[in-house]
Amino acid sequence: MTMLRSREISSASGKPRPKRQSSDIIQPSTPARKQEPGAHSLDGSSPPTNTFRRRSPCLESLNGFTDKEVSISVCSKRKSNVGERFLSLRSGKKVAKRCDGIEASGSEIDTRKSDVDLGSEGKKVCVDLVEEETNIVSKELDNSGDNALVRRIVNEEKGKTVMDEVEDSCQVKDVEMKCVEGCEKLSSSVSRRKYTREEKAKGIQVVNLSPPITRVGVEEMEIDNSIDIQNPPEASVTESAVNDALNQNGNGSRNQHFRDFAEKNASRFARFDAEMEEEEELSDEEVEQQVEDWPGPFSTAMKIMKDREENTILHDGIPFSSDIERTSPIIWAPRRSDSFTSPPRAPSLQELSMRVLVKNADAITSLDYVPDALRVKLCQLLCDSRRMDVHFLDLLVRGSPTGICVPDCSWLTEEQFTQCFNNCDTSNLMVLQLDQCGRCMPDYVLPSTLARSPKNLPMLSSLSLSGACRLSDVGLRALVSVAPAITSINLSQCSLLTSSSIDMLSDSLGSVLRELYLNECQSIDLNLILTALKKFEKLEVLSLVDLPSVRGRLLREFVTARGEALKQLILTYSVKLTDSSVKDISENCPNLSVLDLANVCKLTDCSLGYLANGCQALEKLIFCRNSFSDEAVAAFVETSGGSLVELSLNNVKKVGHNTALALAKLSEKLQILDVSWCRDMSDNALGYIVDSCSSLKVLKVFGCTQITDAFVRGHSNPNVKILGLKMDPFLDQLTKNLADS
Amino acid sequence: MRETVKLISMDGFEFVIDREAAMVSQTIRSMLTSPGGFSESKDGVVTFPDISTTILEKICQYFYWSLQYSRGKETEFHIEPELTLELMMAANYLHT
Repeated sequence: MTMLRSREISSASGKPRPKRQSSDIIQPSTPARKQEPGAHSLDGSSPPTNTFRRRSPCLESLNGFTDKEVSISVCSKRKSNVGERFLSLRSGKKVAKRCDGIEASGSEIDTRKSDVDLGSEGKKVCVDLVEEETNIVSKELDNSGDNALVRRIVNEEKGKTVMDEVEDSCQVKDVEMKCVEGCEKLSSSVSRRKYTREEKAKGIQVVNLSPPITRVGVEEMEIDNSIDIQNPPEASVTESAVNDALNQNGNGSRNQHFRDFAEKNASRFARFDAEMEEEEELSDEEVEQQVEDWPGPFSTAMKIMKDREENTILHDGIPFSSDIERTSPIIWAPRRSDSFTSPPRAPSLQELSMRVLVKNADAITSLDYVPDALRVKLCQLLCDSRRMDVHFLDLLVRGSPTGICVPDCSWLTEEQFTQCFNNCDTSNLMVLQLDQCGRCMPDYVLPSTLARSPKNLPMLSSLSLSGACRLSDVGLRALVSVAPAITSINLSQCSLLTSSSIDMLSDSLGSVLRELYLNECQSIDLNLILTALKKFEKLEVLSLVDLPSVRGRLLREFVTARGEALKQLILTYSVKLTDSSVKDISENCPNLSVLDLANVCKLTDCSLGYLANGCQALEKLIFCRNSFSDEAVAAFVETSGGSLVELSLNNVKKVGHNTALALAKLSEKLQILDVSWCRDMSDNALGYIVDSCSSLKVLKVFGCTQITDAFVRGHSNPNVKILGLKMDPFLDQLTKNLADS
Repeated sequence: MRETVKLISMDGFEFVIDREAAMVSQTIRSMLTSPGGFSESKDGVVTFPDISTTILEKICQYFYWSLQYSRGKETEFHIEPELTLELMMAANYLHT
């Protein structure tokens, strides 16, 4: 059911409702609860291959909001014979588990979508409600053929959909209620609500109220700043009215009261950014029109595949795996002979000696003559096993090092840092990596250590201070002022940095900076740094993971100005982006080799079309939880997937045999492939891929429960490592560049 | 095809080992098999002016251990801690 936040009122029953209900009982409002990501997700949380941590929702509450109590009321109506269950979302919302036969755009719960099921009489309605800046896609798959309508509404802010209805049908009611025919079936034990469909073609958002409305304060709801939820007086009035009304009446007039209540309260949600809304809608419409006009290779490939699909047998429009097996044109026979087993490979001498070194790191007296690459590896191993200490850092810092790379400085204290770097000769230092240095790097230690003299870091070209959560604009300015030659700077998770830091960077490093990583920098607003970003003349790598301010218009401006030089664009979790953004990227970034669009859930097959026609040089492409169809992915691979070295189709659920065929055909260069959670990939398909992609080194199949030994033991590729099955160890595979290990 | 090769350390010590053992090192393998008429491939002798005798001896022991390992006999290869740093650097150079 859709959930609305409204003021808290005391429930009649006075006790918090349990989260899960049996299918006959109507779902009351959910108690808000902080839940760990992926705790109740349908298919499990994303596998460890996702390198970007999600912040827990409790950190995301915006200013001034934590004190407000926003309550969620959830009401779901279900048929008793539908095997529905509720799952609780991380944000405390309830999600009705989808029933068979419903395909919703595949997003999992921890991407803040909820699946809503209004089941009745064989009509199943699946509504995905997404928090604030995300989409509401509702599909009505109607067996009786009445409203087969797929509708997408771009929802910029929370409550948008309601506003949508409002603006479309303002003459009618504030809230549009969807009536599913035959939903008059009210069982006495279940209080159900009768919805009237004001406008049949538009019914998306449903306001549901449960009779004993239990509202619980939600503190961690992510709510955009522009939403003004300051209607406690209004709400309490209406609530008390509703409460009275509810308490008085029985089933019959309940609907009327629900409707009244909804009418009164819907206007509270009617806030949205008018410009943004119109602009996004417009651009989406443009987009949809334009793709149809292209007769390019991508659409041709799509068409061929679709025709092929239509000729095969399908059940109810949805091929089940067993059908795929039957209709799949892939013929792959697992190898028969058991004699082909790769001989056990002895660990390399370098590895063996490193292990001994890590164990006896305190006995090392000098790292002279040890090349940088080995120092880095040693450091990594030490940090992983938590044996890294000041002694080793001293060894690293001694002399005039060219590279100091410590991937985890969480053990380092301020005093130790000051002592180490007080007298460090940094005149030849080219690479400085002090990740997770939040503990040891407040602003005030820098002037006496790294920034102790102007031009203290003359050769520094790569600086990584990810996790420097105590570093503010002042400290960064001090550091950058002594390092004029920085070409790569990583400021991920530096939560105190604001846009003035980026302005400062563009002023001092505008002509040299090539790589900029601003992942999860909460205080940086893309709006304000757009001008600064455009000043970087040579920017090749831009990483903007999980920045809520990343929007289509802003991205468009940036890529139009600087897209020519862009080689890597990381936009994980930029949930506001749509197909039009991908269009902009593909038109303006011809040299793009790395593109990360994981968890950008609004994208559709059109995006693949744009990418196929625009970015021909893609080597690393990361998708995760994008809802692309099998044919589209296959068409993309066929038309421009030839240069792919790493491809992630993690949780791109519909991927199946078409993609397998395409991959096997055209990907000789493919080294890393991630098909985790793609349950339509059969043993045959995977075996075919693995045997055909001769360069394949790593295959990730987390969550692919459909794979059997027929594939695992039957494939003939001696080099490939299969990760994600059963309890095989994989932690040592989580290196930055898997292909190098 | 010669059956054995000779590896010479910085001090002039000569270690004569099987060709198959020496090929465990990618560097030595490419030295011995690369076309171009290099003296290493012709004579089967490789000199390592940067590697000391103790280290080179240990490396040769590693070669034989590695061959044993791939034939199924999986034992442990012990490394004296004081040799480890130099050994690591030599192993890095030899790609082994």
